[in-house]
Amino acid sequence: MGATDNQGSFLNRISIRRNQVVSMEGNHEQELEDLEHFQKHVADRFSDLLSPSEDFPSDPMLSIAWVRKLLDVFLCCEAEFKAVLLMGRDPSQISKPPLDRLVPEFLDRVVKALDICNAVSHGVDSVRHFQKLAEIAVSALEQRPIGDGQVRRAKKALSALVIGMAVEDKEGGGNKATERSWSFGRRSGVSAPNKERAVGHFRALSWGMSKGWSAAKQIQAMSSNLVAPKGNEASGLAQPVYIMSTIMLFVMWMLVTAIPCQERNGLMTHFPVPRNLAWAQAMIGLQEKISEEWKKKEKKGSAGLLEEMQKMEKLGQSLIEFSDSFQFPAEAEKLEEVAAQVAELAETCRKMEEGLVPLQQQIRELFHRVVRSRSEVLDVLDQGGKASAPVM
Amino acid sequence: MGDYKSSSTPTHEGEQHLIAAARHIMQALRSSSFLTDDLRKTLSDLESHLSAIAAITESKTQEFSEFEKRLKSAEEKVFSWESNDQIMIWDSGPVEASNYLKSIDEIQKLIQNFTSLSVDEYGKHKELFYRADSVLQLAMSRLEEELIHILVRYEQHLEPEYMSFRLSGADIVYDESFVSADEESIEEASQRNRYTNESDDYYVVDLVQPLAIPHLKSIAKAMFASNYGYEFCHSFINTRKYALDEYLVVLGVQIFSIEDVLKMEWTSLNLEIKKWSWIMKIIIRVYLASEKWLCEQILAEFGSVSSFCFLDISKATMACLLNFGEAIAMGSRRPEKLFSLLDMYEVLADLLLDIDALFMEETGSFIRIEFHELMKSLGNLSKTTFLEFGNAIATSNTSSNPFSGGGIHPLTRYVMNYIKTLTEYGRTLNFLIKDQCIEDSNPALELEDRQGIEDLFSSTFYPTAHHLLSITSTLKSSLDSRSKLYKDAALQHVFLMNNIHYMVQKVKSSKLMFFFGDEWIREHIAKVQQHATSYERATWSSVLSLLRDDNQRSHSFSKASFRERCRAFSIAFEEVYKSQTGWSIPDLELREGLQISTAQNVIQAYRTFVGRISGDISDKDVKYTVDDLEKYLFHLFEGSPRSLHHAFIRRR
Repeated sequence: MGATDNQGSFLNRISIRRNQVVSMEGNHEQELEDLEHFQKHVADRFSDLLSPSEDFPSDPMLSIAWVRKLLDVFLCCEAEFKAVLLMGRDPSQISKPPLDRLVPEFLDRVVKALDICNAVSHGVDSVRHFQKLAEIAVSALEQRPIGDGQVRRAKKALSALVIGMAVEDKEGGGNKATERSWSFGRRSGVSAPNKERAVGHFRALSWGMSKGWSAAKQIQAMSSNLVAPKGNEASGLAQPVYIMSTIMLFVMWMLVTAIPCQERNGLMTHFPVPRNLAWAQAMIGLQEKISEEWKKKEKKGSAGLLEEMQKMEKLGQSLIEFSDSFQFPAEAEKLEEVAAQVAELAETCRKMEEGLVPLQQQIRELFHRVVRSRSEVLDVLDQGGKASAPVM
Repeated sequence: MGDYKSSSTPTHEGEQHLIAAARHIMQALRSSSFLTDDLRKTLSDLESHLSAIAAITESKTQEFSEFEKRLKSAEEKVFSWESNDQIMIWDSGPVEASNYLKSIDEIQKLIQNFTSLSVDEYGKHKELFYRADSVLQLAMSRLEEELIHILVRYEQHLEPEYMSFRLSGADIVYDESFVSADEESIEEASQRNRYTNESDDYYVVDLVQPLAIPHLKSIAKAMFASNYGYEFCHSFINTRKYALDEYLVVLGVQIFSIEDVLKMEWTSLNLEIKKWSWIMKIIIRVYLASEKWLCEQILAEFGSVSSFCFLDISKATMACLLNFGEAIAMGSRRPEKLFSLLDMYEVLADLLLDIDALFMEETGSFIRIEFHELMKSLGNLSKTTFLEFGNAIATSNTSSNPFSGGGIHPLTRYVMNYIKTLTEYGRTLNFLIKDQCIEDSNPALELEDRQGIEDLFSSTFYPTAHHLLSITSTLKSSLDSRSKLYKDAALQHVFLMNNIHYMVQKVKSSKLMFFFGDEWIREHIAKVQQHATSYERATWSSVLSLLRDDNQRSHSFSKASFRERCRAFSIAFEEVYKSQTGWSIPDLELREGLQISTAQNVIQAYRTFVGRISGDISDKDVKYTVDDLEKYLFHLFEGSPRSLHHAFIRRR
């Protein structure tokens, strides 16, 4: 990715310069320059995501590969942000107004983002679960010529998949309810404990997040006190703090729209980013596109905007229809159509197989990175505030 | 379904018709008169071919109807259970179950036979194949339900001792501030609940009754053999995941977001940490170990399937448990947290081997890595909290008023009890800070302490000892500066004597002894003595000088001068009495020691003085008798100010 190339040199420059001028007053101009570079890099990276260059075949928006690129962008921006904010800086600088307020607010957002990472990572497990069901269907429907048994086998898996996705959308509660359609569809009243489990007696324990935790509310809270710096502040460190907060908010919001996640009801579709900011243009563009998708999704109900999931859902439904009407022997024309769909579903599974584990790892990496940065910032705040704050 | 059964066998019949037609033609040919020998031979070859084909067809037809019969009987078995909604097969006894499995086996064999025939040879076989495949699917679906049913029905709960979490009385929350630290709560906190060493009590249990294991194995075998392994894993994993979730509910596990944890009050958080430590051990050492064993018992034959299933069952729970630790490791460094942090660290260290064994396969490596990382972060946080404890003491000088009475300062109590508790974690601390002490030398470390360190250099406790010594050094210098707040030099000495004595007592009476060594104790006892001596000098040398005869040769003290001296002494003594009865030496032995040694000096001087003047002035001019004085001296340091003035007047 083009965006990463210039990062190394940028960080080096900051580091070298800060080492040289750390003791000197009046490096304000240098700082402005760093800030400008940072903003430019942010703008470039996001416009790459919005409209990739013609030379490379691009991944569709909200596909696993695209989401991973966005997370890469986040990681790059985060590294630069930390350099701008902390590297070689006198701790007292970030412990005086307005940063003494803005930085703790930023750290609050960081903590919320960490919880979202956990919820989303849990959601990726659900997607993996869907993938496995789809794989069963694919292997059944790939058999030629196709018979009644395999069609029924595929239908069973696909029904579990589609219902699971619908439940995931409504409740975001793990993959518990999938089971209802999976194994308890026919036999009722066989054994009480089975049934109890089947109706998701333990759904309250959607492992991963605490009861009542809501991704939508967390996103809301992250954005609530996010205001673009004005006047003098706009040229100071308040600006990168604002930029990074906005990036973080955007990335977390995107993850919540894309991947099943606990409690997304009322997820905001728009957060205010001033339109006159150059670095924010591409991000605003992306946000509008994703918002459109999300609104559509809210109407028809879907587990997430992740491209592969949407495809899986659509193909799943269509193949269920096929299996409902299946009569042996199938018509050749119908079979051809199904074969194409099965191939597409297989391809989607392959993309998930390739991409989901690395995606989950990347979310984890982001998590750890943000944790580290948070503790570095806290250390600096600590040093800066030592004189005034009582330790015990 | 029904379509297949009713379908006739047109292909075979067609074949037979064809052969019959060919025979017919040949007979017609043979009857013609102009056959050459060659032609005749060809014809007879052809004829024998035809009969061979007919024979094969015949046997195939027989074989076919044999297949069909077998399939039909297996089908009937499966269908009969299909229509029976209320009873599970494995509940109906071993015979039923084994018959059902036999039918499945039969269907599998048939399918294999069909697939070994080339596909297009006989369309009829193909149809049978589909029939078999279809009935197999029904049977597999049924097996899945049976599987879940057996798993649930024969599920066993863990032994009661693993079921509930009780806090023992010893788990008192470590209090947060220096000031509010009262002796008792700290003392109790130091008796930590060390369930660390009870590892022998943990064992692998049967999460499913052993009698059900062969059933589960036979189902697994049938499903994997029929290529329905995915479905088996799916149902197995989900059912076992429920069981684990259920158990977590029984254990009272609550999930907290990181935000929750960071905002939680320390008291509640501390309780949650204790609960977490306990749950980690039960879940990892007992439950998951048993779960893994269960997976292996059932799935050992299928390669990596067992570890794959185990991972899927356990990873969400592991992630949730580790996340709590993660949130704790993100928290602030506050001294009162140190013990809980060390507890958590020790729990993880203790479970390290278990985790490595549970998730030794490549697929589970991420859990292993996260576990190790968490242990590292908790270790780091413990380390920095420990190392910063000295700074915390150094910066705790907030009061500009002297501590009243010169007794044992709460800071001394807090620090000493704190480090006394730390000795319980000596081994862990040593490990955590082993690289730390060379680069970091505390300037506050006094010379004699450095000497002490040299002595301990070879000792196993070296790094911890170094830091504990540095903490007491910081404490001492903090006490020194606090002592300067007293205007009275004598009180400075009493204060230091009290506090150093307290330190020595704490060291002598605990494991701190092994960290500090005899040399340190001897030195500090000497210091206490030194301050006692200095106290006596500071208070009494001027008072006693009033009694002393400056001019040995002169026996010419006037009466007036004697009287004057006596009066001055009384006034000085009253003043000392008034202030020093308010001073406090809480340690009875120490107080009596100082009282006795003071009394010895003072009484001795006074007795000599009184003896010398007794001829010169009357008794009534001597305000206090020797006995009075002795009695009064034992009122000193009791911490409640008294006045002699009043008593004196009353006596008159």
